[in-house]
Amino acid sequence: MEIVMPKMGESVNEGTIIKWYKKIGDKVKRDEVIFEISTDKVDTEIPSPATGTITDIKVNEGDTVEVGTVVAVLETNGEAGPGKKEGSTTGIQKSSEVASIDENVDAEKQAAAANGILEVAMPKMGESVMEGTVIKWFKKVGDKIDRDEPLFEISTDKVDTEVPSPVAGTVAEILVAEQETVDVGTIVVKIAAEGGTEVQQSSPQETVRQVEEQAAAAVSMHDNFSGARLGIKQENVKSNRFYSPLVLNISQKENISFAELENILGTGLNGRVSKKDILSYIEKRKAGKVKVPAQKQAVAQTYTPSESAVIPVSGEVEKIPMDNIRLKIMEHMVASRDTSVHVTSMVEVDMTKIDNFIRENKDEYFNRDGVKLTYMAFVADACVKALKAYPLVNSSIEGTTIIRKKYINIGIAVAVEPTGLIVPNIKSADQRNITGLAAAISDLAYRARNKKLTPDDISGGTFTITNFGVFGTVFGLPIINQPEVAILGVGAAIKRPVVVEVDGTDAITIRPIMALTLSHDHRLIDGMLGSLFLKYVKETLENFNPISV
Amino acid sequence: MQKQYDIAILGGGPGGYVAAIRAGQLGFKTVVIEKANLGGICLNWGCIPTKSLLKNAELYDSIKNHGADFGITAKELTFDFNKIIRRSRNISDRISKNVEFLIKKNKVDRIRGFGKFKSKNELEIFDEKGTKIDSVKAGKIIIATGAHSKTIPAIPVDFKNIITSKEAMILPEQPEELIVIGAGAIGIEFAYFYAILGTKVTVIEMLDHILPIEDEEISKELEKSFKKRKIDILTKATVNKAVLKGRKVEVTVSVNGETKKLTADKVLCAIGVTGNVEGYGLDKLGAEIYKNSIKVNKETYETNVHGIYAIGDVIGPPWLAHVASHEGIRCVEGIKGLKNKPIDYNNIPGCTYCQPQVASVGFTERKAREAGYDVKIGKFPYMASGKAFAVGEREGFVKLIFDAKYNELLGAHIIGAEATELIAEVVMARELEATAESIMKTVHAHPTLAETIMEASAQALGEAIHI
Repeated sequence: MEIVMPKMGESVNEGTIIKWYKKIGDKVKRDEVIFEISTDKVDTEIPSPATGTITDIKVNEGDTVEVGTVVAVLETNGEAGPGKKEGSTTGIQKSSEVASIDENVDAEKQAAAANGILEVAMPKMGESVMEGTVIKWFKKVGDKIDRDEPLFEISTDKVDTEVPSPVAGTVAEILVAEQETVDVGTIVVKIAAEGGTEVQQSSPQETVRQVEEQAAAAVSMHDNFSGARLGIKQENVKSNRFYSPLVLNISQKENISFAELENILGTGLNGRVSKKDILSYIEKRKAGKVKVPAQKQAVAQTYTPSESAVIPVSGEVEKIPMDNIRLKIMEHMVASRDTSVHVTSMVEVDMTKIDNFIRENKDEYFNRDGVKLTYMAFVADACVKALKAYPLVNSSIEGTTIIRKKYINIGIAVAVEPTGLIVPNIKSADQRNITGLAAAISDLAYRARNKKLTPDDISGGTFTITNFGVFGTVFGLPIINQPEVAILGVGAAIKRPVVVEVDGTDAITIRPIMALTLSHDHRLIDGMLGSLFLKYVKETLENFNPISV
Repeated sequence: MQKQYDIAILGGGPGGYVAAIRAGQLGFKTVVIEKANLGGICLNWGCIPTKSLLKNAELYDSIKNHGADFGITAKELTFDFNKIIRRSRNISDRISKNVEFLIKKNKVDRIRGFGKFKSKNELEIFDEKGTKIDSVKAGKIIIATGAHSKTIPAIPVDFKNIITSKEAMILPEQPEELIVIGAGAIGIEFAYFYAILGTKVTVIEMLDHILPIEDEEISKELEKSFKKRKIDILTKATVNKAVLKGRKVEVTVSVNGETKKLTADKVLCAIGVTGNVEGYGLDKLGAEIYKNSIKVNKETYETNVHGIYAIGDVIGPPWLAHVASHEGIRCVEGIKGLKNKPIDYNNIPGCTYCQPQVASVGFTERKAREAGYDVKIGKFPYMASGKAFAVGEREGFVKLIFDAKYNELLGAHIIGAEATELIAEVVMARELEATAESIMKTVHAHPTLAETIMEASAQALGEAIHI
């Protein structure tokens, strides 16, 4: 069977092989890591889809290939793999419509199924979904089940859905308990097809196609029109705007980047970019009246000077090519600096109450919930509250329009050694309490450091928190994570003598004091709003009430 | 006491009554002043009654000329001309009453009478005899007075033998011979109607082809079809004069330098329409008029006189009911302060309801080339459509004009059965800026005539399946 470059997200069209863990002739087990890839969104390790022997490696380390390109060939010792058992696999049921039109073919499949035990795998519920949780079993071992009858219900971070049985028969074995989360492709149940004994395994990709198609449709109707399918070259096709086929054709022919397209002011219905708008943009661009958006410019700025400029050296040097992540960080930082007008304000927060609470309760929380209480969870919670009070901080700028987001996804900057930095975000952070936030932060940090993040984790953030305090830094001036408009830097809490008022008398006492710095985009957030936001965070933290945990 | 309105609308045609209803919906205190039944020419003397007449002709045409193909024959096939006319009149009356009801439902006042400006905020209303019966004041006044048939001295219309479209749809008896002067939509529809019923019809057109504003290929196809139906067509022909000789009319025509004399019972003057800009005190206001049309800003529909607006036929071409209605809606919404995308006057469908029907939108091939486009043509004949075959409508084709650079749909031209219904898809495609690829990739139901549009798009890209 052939192993291809996987698609790591809707907008990811290519990937770089960073490392091969196996060489030709090596034996691999199913789910054993065979290579590591890097895309512009995320780095990840790719497990083997089946047990077998690597017979060919077609792409070298460091090479970048398009999604879908065959990178290796696996000899599977006769075990079923995707594509191999097309004709005889029993699980293939694209949809009921297809089944009814194509009854003869289907009948053949059923006949084949009648002889075997079918293994049903956790379906893949979307491009970026890697695992799923079995929420409920509708059948138990020994139960009879009809084809298409709901077998179990699963939940993933994208959709919840019922998985129907691909075949009529009897439930022979249930391998995953309710509430258990397993990787996509893991066998969750075995069904003895009517009248059969021969063991068959359905290839996960095919068994799940039916549900996957539904899920894909549910997840992203918009993408059908967003240009990817029309062949337009885009760095990122996720957009909330609709572009007409004509506008997409023009942007492709005229080399308008997606970032540029996103910045064109639309005069059509509901602000839609019309042919007229894009043509007038092209005219202006030709006349040099348009500043090509920062993102694009940044690429030019970052790459060209480093190639042309001569760095004077007066001793031995080592030249280290930047890896993908480093290049991306460089690009994003320059783009952010060129896009946003950074202004930074600072407050000092007395962390006494929180410090006391953590000290007194951290063991209990760890033993009870497995959650490590840290300052970060409290800061995140205070930020959520402040974002609710000042929703403009939870916005983006699109051309001359303010996009005020009604959802709060808090990004947490995680240092990943040795490559650098990544900012996964806590989805719907406003739906979590402090314990929930603490759990989410430690989960994201763990997955970031172990290359388990999905593209979903790192897209859609609305506000970012960066904690340089863990390294002892007292305060810093963070750079905004685009397209957000503010970022909070968290400094180290340091015991300092401070003046407090006790019973109407000033006294000097020792308190843990933490500096919070807010860098905000002055295009949208003026000093007053920035200060009010910080004040709100400060007061929330200082007036911390344990009941809120 | 004199009534005060937010908006007064002069004229209750498809521009005026639609504007009135929209104004009512938006909460304006509105009055519409119309001397006759609501619905204007369109509903009473144009679009609707002629479509009713044409249905008779189509039905008769189908049974008489194609019935045998379907195994349907009649020993003696007859029709009652007066009943045909009566049916048409009844339909107009019924719909006009429905419009009166809609007006009332939307709390719009209706004054039957002839309105004249007293000042820019005041209208006086007169009855048929010229007696003043009412007067109203209004903050804004919308002129929607429409248009009437254009006449020229060489063709002295007497409304009996030399007639306009209005008389043509209520003739007391079927003429044996009819000369139609002007081969625009109106002339062509009457030519078809009367020719099918057995009248000897001659069409005279000054320009190169009948339906001269359509794409040339379409006009030529229709000429072929009309000639098969024994309709005489004289193009590049100028009428020198038309005179009454006894009970017949003699028409002198110059064709290619030759002078011909033709005679007929009736002569229909269908050389176009012209705006109703006189007789209601427009001159007093100082509203600017150009070529018998009121000049307006085509986004707000305001005239040069503040607070006075004009919509529909009275502001000039394209003289179409559907344009008047949309102008009316936009005008009122503009007064309300709602934002609108202006009408794209290059995306107005035009329809002619003879058989085969003709419908088009946007650029013709020639106009597109003149505008500097590098064009790509997609054509698909009805002959290759399964549905057209099944229903016995194999005449006609779809022609789509694309810009070769971006594959934008620049224009669409359809001749054939149901063309006037099919055109809606292409207008929408243009409005939403579809391209050849996106039309081709849109799943069309099978079997339908609409598939011809999908196939024509595919043909432009060299990917047509059924041709």
